[in-house]
Amino acid sequence: MDPTREILEFLYREAELLDEGRYREWLSLTTEDILYQVPVRLTRERPPEGGYGGVSERMFHLDEDRTSLEMRVSRLETGFAWAEDPPSRLRHFVTNVRVGEPRSTERGEEVEVRSNLLVFRSRWDRPEYTLLSAERRDLLRREKGTWKLARRVVILDQSTLPTHNLSFFL
Amino acid sequence: MVSAPRLLQELAEGLEKGLVPAGILNDPEVFELEKERIFSRSWVYLAHASEVASPGDYVLRYILNNAFIVVRGEDGQVRAFLDMCRHRGMRVCRAEAGNASHFRCPFHGWTYRNDGTLVGVPAEREAFGEGFNKVDWGLVPIPKLAELDGLIFGNLDREAPSLEAWLGEALWYLELVSKRSPEGLEVLGPPQRFVVNTDWKLALETFISDSYHTLMTHRSMIELGIAPRDAKYAMYGEQIHIPGKGHGAMVVGSPPGAKLPPFWGYPEEMMERAKASYPTQEQWEVARETRIFLLTLFPNFSLHNPIRKPDHLYPTPIPMLTFRVWHPLGPGRIEIFSWGMVEKDAPEWFKEKARHSYLRFFGSSGTFEQDDTEIWSHVAQNAGSSLGRRLHFNYQMGRNVAPDPNWPGPGVAYPINFTDENLRNFYRRYLEMMLG
Repeated sequence: MDPTREILEFLYREAELLDEGRYREWLSLTTEDILYQVPVRLTRERPPEGGYGGVSERMFHLDEDRTSLEMRVSRLETGFAWAEDPPSRLRHFVTNVRVGEPRSTERGEEVEVRSNLLVFRSRWDRPEYTLLSAERRDLLRREKGTWKLARRVVILDQSTLPTHNLSFFL
Repeated sequence: MVSAPRLLQELAEGLEKGLVPAGILNDPEVFELEKERIFSRSWVYLAHASEVASPGDYVLRYILNNAFIVVRGEDGQVRAFLDMCRHRGMRVCRAEAGNASHFRCPFHGWTYRNDGTLVGVPAEREAFGEGFNKVDWGLVPIPKLAELDGLIFGNLDREAPSLEAWLGEALWYLELVSKRSPEGLEVLGPPQRFVVNTDWKLALETFISDSYHTLMTHRSMIELGIAPRDAKYAMYGEQIHIPGKGHGAMVVGSPPGAKLPPFWGYPEEMMERAKASYPTQEQWEVARETRIFLLTLFPNFSLHNPIRKPDHLYPTPIPMLTFRVWHPLGPGRIEIFSWGMVEKDAPEWFKEKARHSYLRFFGSSGTFEQDDTEIWSHVAQNAGSSLGRRLHFNYQMGRNVAPDPNWPGPGVAYPINFTDENLRNFYRRYLEMMLG
């Protein structure tokens, strides 16, 4: 299949699992050596070379490996994870998918993928909602014939988060 | 004002009976009064010296809705200025952090040195003439600024007592963290900032006295073996308050029968350094037996320093340290500034693991704190409801417990943490300021 088509299907499938709270299945889409980061973003002056400014290299909202992601998923399965029980209503809108050239590395076939993300969240019976907008910079790796998420850096379009926690994945 | 005097009177009448009116947690008039009586007169934490380590380094911080540039001048001195051009009030600092020798206002170009001096006014002579003197128009410094062991506090009241007088005996407890090594602390990075629909007093409550909530709020982490299986572990240890000041600490040791390493589980070399670094032998002895430590400085600064593993499978504890400010935005609404902290002279591998311990448990995505903020939001909403606001909360826990005569530290200590004593003390100070 055309790799772009495969990757779009991967991202949509992933969004479906996250929106439906199927976190254990979502975990199986990640590699053992996954690095998942949401850096803190600060207001800074415009970088002369253009591009993103103010993405902290030192502090994160999430900086996870497979073990810590597994811990977060296990937590959600305890029945006592009040931040998501009752669960948020989430919708991951994935757009502007840009697929790089797949290449062979010592770890296997890998491809860089960038996508835009808008996450809608509402909780309880309140009419208010939060929106988080971001770009995701992913590295996908083909393992046993299927793509898996090996690295994700989520560049938030926000300095101060408008939400009371990040109890879900982006 | 109708509601504020009534709520404060109810608080004054009920406090010693352990009754606190729910309404004070989400009431516009109470909040207006807090702005004037508490936050315009208290020492408020702004930044850590390590955030502005070099000349020109600055960060932008707030007391109420006043933005301050906290900046280290070329002379090495830290100052704080209202981020407001003296000409027409524009922000002269256009970033949350950075390094600058000067701040140039984008409106009309007035330019200030990072010591606040106005040094450039476009067409000064032609536009303002002879009588204009730049010396009179420097950036407005914060009325009071003080630094203690790297912690930088500001105060909007020029008549406020010194920071040392404000802290009083709480300093002894702050030093358990700030003087743990001769090099002191550093930030692990910029703060996480996030908004919670709750009251600053409710957030603070958890950090000044509430070990009791761990049982249920953090049950998920008990299930995962991250919080101790003995759900009553947090009742052990001492709860200490500083009378007349409002500050409070919780010092939790190893519960009976538990085999937890001494000194929070910090590496041996850090323990040795601490032993030599603490000002008094008593501080070292208390620190050696401590596994969980929390301190809240009136009004809205808290720190939390628990023994912890960075994840559920990691074999050894890597304690985490977080500083936070419960920044009031409005009635029932705060912004949390949450920093990860570490000892400057800790080994690099340890700093990295301490960062993970912090991120995974506290802050915006913390597996502990995300349940705290969820619950705090609902409490504040109920406290603002038309019937809920008329009810009183129960602050009666531990009312019959006598102080511990053998505690080696200052303040009034209770030999159990299942008590609201620190909160009753907090609200005594709160009332004193709100009514005074």
